[in-house]
Amino acid sequence: MNDNRRQILDMLAQGKINSDEAERLITALERSDVPAARDTSNVKYLRVLVDANDEQEGPTKVNVRVPMQLLRAGVRLTGFIPDRAREQVNEALRKEGISFDINKLTPDNLEEMIEHLRDLSVDVDNERAKVRVFCE
Amino acid sequence: MTQEILPPLSASVHVKPASWRFGLRLWVPLFLLWLLLIPLLILALPLLFIASLVFRFSLWRSLRAANGVLAATRGSQVEVDNRNTRVFIKLH
Repeated sequence: MNDNRRQILDMLAQGKINSDEAERLITALERSDVPAARDTSNVKYLRVLVDANDEQEGPTKVNVRVPMQLLRAGVRLTGFIPDRAREQVNEALRKEGISFDINKLTPDNLEEMIEHLRDLSVDVDNERAKVRVFCE
Repeated sequence: MTQEILPPLSASVHVKPASWRFGLRLWVPLFLLWLLLIPLLILALPLLFIASLVFRFSLWRSLRAANGVLAATRGSQVEVDNRNTRVFIKLH
């Protein structure tokens, strides 16, 4: 129990406020305790940077910026996949050893994923190429 | 979360092959392409409507989703740079 809630209950016990007032105060307190809705709007792009050094082509740099909106629009498109096709996709994924259910791919889940992607940074570094993937 | 509703209206394309002294900088007015496609879409609407009845999908939802994907490409950027060529494409 947090201090504010205890304080309200103490005031109720001391008769400084009645039960209706205590209820109103606790409701207001609970409303203020609700965390702000996840804001993923500041994650706008997925950036892929590749710095390769091919023996034939020489050094090559690739810089790709993909809007997160495209990811969201793509997930919305999954709503058009017929149920039968979804089952086939799930089965194909299971055969490949990937336990993933595309029925669970919803816009809500995607926002959660984007929220987690915010802090994601993938760095692959070997003698022939450097790859960096991150959100910005 | 703001959502784009218009498809990309223009594209910047820069190409510079290593053999060229100066690169090519193009501004591509994509909105002209959309303006040309709108009459075609209107002509195709009856066929799409029949297809939606036969295959049981929502035509309105499908058109919205297709527009959503197009609109979401705004801001995309691709840049490739190697010793032979430098290419840069950005959708606005």
